[in-house]
Amino acid sequence: MIDLSGKAAIAGVFESPRRDAPRVHPFALQMECILGALDDAGLTLKDVDGLCAASGDWAEGGSTMDVVELAEYIGIAPTYVNSTDVGGCSYILQAGQAAAAIATGLAEVVVISYAACPRWWPLSSPSFDPFVFPAGPGQYEIPYAPTLISTYGLFARRHMDLYGTTPEQLAQVAVTFREHAAKNPDARLRKPITVDDVLASPMIASPLHRLDCCVVTDGGGAVVMTSRERARDLKKPPVHLVGYGAAVARTQNSQIPDDLTTPAALSGPRAFAMAGVTPGEIDVAQIYDAFTITPMLALEDLGFCGRGESGAFVADGNLTLGGSLPTNTDGGGLSSNHPGKRGIFTLIESVRQLRGEGPGVQVPDARIALAHGLGGTFCSAATAILAR
Amino acid sequence: MTSMTIPPVQDETSAPFWEAAREGRFLIQRCPETGRYQWYPRAHSIHAPHARPEWVEASGRGELLTYSVVHRGNQRGDPYVCALIRLEEGVTVFSRVEGVAEADLRAGLPLAVAFHQLDEATSLPVFRPRTPD
Repeated sequence: MIDLSGKAAIAGVFESPRRDAPRVHPFALQMECILGALDDAGLTLKDVDGLCAASGDWAEGGSTMDVVELAEYIGIAPTYVNSTDVGGCSYILQAGQAAAAIATGLAEVVVISYAACPRWWPLSSPSFDPFVFPAGPGQYEIPYAPTLISTYGLFARRHMDLYGTTPEQLAQVAVTFREHAAKNPDARLRKPITVDDVLASPMIASPLHRLDCCVVTDGGGAVVMTSRERARDLKKPPVHLVGYGAAVARTQNSQIPDDLTTPAALSGPRAFAMAGVTPGEIDVAQIYDAFTITPMLALEDLGFCGRGESGAFVADGNLTLGGSLPTNTDGGGLSSNHPGKRGIFTLIESVRQLRGEGPGVQVPDARIALAHGLGGTFCSAATAILAR
Repeated sequence: MTSMTIPPVQDETSAPFWEAAREGRFLIQRCPETGRYQWYPRAHSIHAPHARPEWVEASGRGELLTYSVVHRGNQRGDPYVCALIRLEEGVTVFSRVEGVAEADLRAGLPLAVAFHQLDEATSLPVFRPRTPD
């Protein structure tokens, strides 16, 4: 097997500063981001031979052949494509697979692209993701009208019962990331909040309050990847993909494991093994935070703390700039940007941190970064480890 | 009881389940080779993939494993309780819990199946409190 570690690099990134994009079609927003990322790398559309997108959701403007539509819209005919959609972490999975394509010569310059505009999208056309479709496995659950948030609530409640996790500890996740967002001029929400603010916000789906939930933004981003050799001579210092892992496991709530293990327990160890590093060597982490419980379970599955210990780990300040694992340094999905599948932003902010370009809080001299996402309701996971 | 309005797309595999539900019986599947139960119903046994599972009537008794009360984020009226219920047979099902005040919800609460008539073709199993055995 080819040793993939370090064979490919991220040469350019761009996150749209938009958080509201009224009447902007997601494809138009993706084009802004793609050009921004190519410019960041010092490349042009003519250099691109690979395109990754996973925008089948209605607010993303896409269809099930989205990557084809997008290629046409931006005006290229890529010979490597990947539209694998495993939810919010799709773009991390696509980065790992793009690295493999680059390492084996299937592609030379790959663009990973995402945008969605849920704030204005006017269509209520049905989605066919497993969380709304009452057929097959979903026929036994969707008729009960579970909401995505209530499924995270099932996880959070059980975590509290099993491990003694408290609402205050959950709230601390939102408080910490808001501190980081306060420094990020593009973040959706920047006003500092307290644990009491979180607990006093309206209950959405117990035990999760409004401030336990991510923002809803229109937004997008793009990432440009190429070979280690080509990246060396481009505009910005390359950030190498040194570790990668992904896994998918379930969609239905009835299949949630008793101890709340998620597929991150599979993706994480694979990524660390490929990179040859341990969790203790990560300088900065971007961990998908759709809800406050989301990064907590990832911290456990990835090995940053033990099973059931994430509440104390967060409350002890480990995720802050001065902590052992500064996390979501741009404010994350809870405060900065969450159009629906924010996995691409975990890659973008990792690269910015390794370059010293963080728009929120910046970890000094960060050398090894972790970008981790989940899909759906802990249904899938993808982990990337990036290094200068 | 509001907000349950989405009918399941019943298929060849699930037909016996929904037929029994209309008669007030809650079926689960058992592997003929290993004797183990499975939920949700499939056309194959997850314990012995070449085996066809057989339908058996469940006790309908179980206990609350975890829950979330949906207060907002839905357009469907009053708060409702989404829950995972561990059946006596050992499988976990997702359903609604009815007839329990939010303050009284807790893991381990003894529950029993009841049926909610959704439409002519569908009775949805839901769970209500029961007196412990």
